[in-house]
Amino acid sequence: MNKINENWLERNTFHHADFWDLIKLVEEKEKKGLKISLCIPTLNEEKTIGKEVLILRSELMERYPLIDEFAVIDSGSKDKTLEVAKNYGADVYLASDILPEVGDKRGKGENLWKAIHQLKGDIICYVDADISNIHPRFVYGLVAPLIHRDEISYVKAFYDRPLNYSSGLRPSGGGRVTEILIRPLFSLFFPELSHIIQPLSGEYAARREVLEKIPFPIGYGVETSHLLDLYAMHGLETFAQTDLDRRVHRNQTTNALGKMSFGILQTFFNRLHAQGKLDRMPDLETFYRRFEVEEGKYHQLVQEVIEEERPPMIEVEGYRNRMASS
Amino acid sequence: METQEIDRETALSGLLDQIPERVKTISEKRDSFLTDTVLLGEIPSPTYGEDERIRAVVDRFRENGLSSPTIDEFGNASAHLPGTEGQSSILVMAHADSVFSREVRHEIQVGSGHMRGPGIADNALGLAAMIALPRLLDDLGIRLRDDLILVANSRSLGRANLEGASGFLETMSLPARAGICVEGSTLGRLSYSGLGTLRGEITLQVPSDYDWKRFGASGAISHVTGLINQIREIPIPKEPKTQLVFGGLRCGSSFNTSPKQGTLRFEITSEDNDIIGQMEDQLNEICEQFSAETGTLVSMEVVAKRQNCSIPFTHPLVKTTRSIMQEAGITPKVDPSTGDLNALILSGLPAVTLGLTTVENLREINETVQLDPLYAGMTQLVTLIQAIDQGICDS
Repeated sequence: MNKINENWLERNTFHHADFWDLIKLVEEKEKKGLKISLCIPTLNEEKTIGKEVLILRSELMERYPLIDEFAVIDSGSKDKTLEVAKNYGADVYLASDILPEVGDKRGKGENLWKAIHQLKGDIICYVDADISNIHPRFVYGLVAPLIHRDEISYVKAFYDRPLNYSSGLRPSGGGRVTEILIRPLFSLFFPELSHIIQPLSGEYAARREVLEKIPFPIGYGVETSHLLDLYAMHGLETFAQTDLDRRVHRNQTTNALGKMSFGILQTFFNRLHAQGKLDRMPDLETFYRRFEVEEGKYHQLVQEVIEEERPPMIEVEGYRNRMASS
Repeated sequence: METQEIDRETALSGLLDQIPERVKTISEKRDSFLTDTVLLGEIPSPTYGEDERIRAVVDRFRENGLSSPTIDEFGNASAHLPGTEGQSSILVMAHADSVFSREVRHEIQVGSGHMRGPGIADNALGLAAMIALPRLLDDLGIRLRDDLILVANSRSLGRANLEGASGFLETMSLPARAGICVEGSTLGRLSYSGLGTLRGEITLQVPSDYDWKRFGASGAISHVTGLINQIREIPIPKEPKTQLVFGGLRCGSSFNTSPKQGTLRFEITSEDNDIIGQMEDQLNEICEQFSAETGTLVSMEVVAKRQNCSIPFTHPLVKTTRSIMQEAGITPKVDPSTGDLNALILSGLPAVTLGLTTVENLREINETVQLDPLYAGMTQLVTLIQAIDQGICDS
């Protein structure tokens, strides 16, 4: 399995610079007759949404017509998010107005799910609204593998941690929840999925034909559920990932991360349950898998972590003898 | 009135009539140059460290259809938009360096009616406006007869002493009809003269064998203060207009240790070159005397010096610029430049500096440009280029 995985990492991991030639990318997209929709889910994002809409629309709709539709889907912002987004030319929707007959639930996943109904693209690219160093690569880096490779249906973003540049060696750079919760969980239950370098990144692009067939948790579990469900349906080969360099965004409090982890765990265990893995627990893996990047190459570090245990002392004969003789 | 003069007036009047429509068109086409303002503005570009921003400018020149953009030995990026005749050229220049160091977080925020971030007005916006010209001219259906030479010049500010602009002008091959320097700040700015300037740095050092027991002995802070007091005694004339500004002082690093070194930065500006020369001599004398009397080592380094230069207020370039501003609803504010304009005028080129929009907190981290006035600012730039192209601004 490891050999196949190594190969996957090589074949399906990209860097946004691989796709710098946007003219060529647009040509390929048009040749294949693909339509691409960009969706930004928002809730009170007036500080960053203007820049995202301005830059992505100007570069990827006007200068290079890669994107056919640009939508902001909002959960009911109280600030000027919608006004600013509209001012820079985005199509603006309230999630509650889309498919009203199914009701209105509050959460990012709701907006992503309703985007499938509202938007027309064969490919939908989701980008979070809180990226302060937004750049066109955040979109073309994700849609390009889908344009070039028909067998790929879902592309995740991953990022650098620039603080580690000076050493020449940097860790995989996931957030705290990724490193403390998701990577250990995937290593235990779905070792192949541990090849996804940043499973929780909020930027990804996917084909409609896979998005319409999977459920969407409306809260924190949406990214995790996508990976688990598509992996169950299509295996690792359906995924690809793109290095988008540096991403600057809000830092969350530990309390917020706790809440997020709780939501993710619910999603995770629901799926384990549905797959019958909770009742018939498999032998747990003992290999912990993480990443390092060296000179542009991605390596998985596999470390055996065996949590050996000692029995209660009372069961040890020597101990019982000592206690009896004292 | 001579026939030629009547022709000019008719031509200018034709251009002025188009201004309101152009403001509208430019506001509709704003996304591309606002995007460039953000993307370029987020690349740190301190003086002598402009390489990355300059490379991005070259990419943009190329993407905008300009053939063979180049980076010269001074670090300037330039490109030509060929004119229909190409007998002469019009030079549009915007400096690519910024006063902010690499350590400052270069993040631009975009609101509905404004953009905010370090260096956005000085000069990310000016740079983006210059880069936008080929596409804007195309959008407006304007074909120039002259070649348009676009330059993003490096090494303009502070110690660089206009090195980039001067270097470019020395090596420029095509004769230019006129030049325009583009700055984000401030709408209404009309510079047609360069102010004589001397920038210097005075360094005071307490030597290692300094006699701390002697009368009046003290650390660098007290000495620098004493030195400043003596410099302030230099008489500064009101006419011709002259100014001495202390722009920076670095001395000491703690609460309880007497520093051994202090550095004072200053700038003298004057309408009279002789006065600048006299004040330089006086400063040298003060430094020498202070050094001898206090047992400290005082040295003065002139980091930038430039001569007064000007084209007349009545020059057709200035007159035309004023007419265009007036028609665009912009109130001209005559403001002598200490920037790249000096290099252009000193090289013999009639030139002006224009500002593009209203700005708050200039050269602060929260530097802010307003978007509504920007479209009139861009219109004045495009219209002036067209007026130069039509010979309206020739003397």
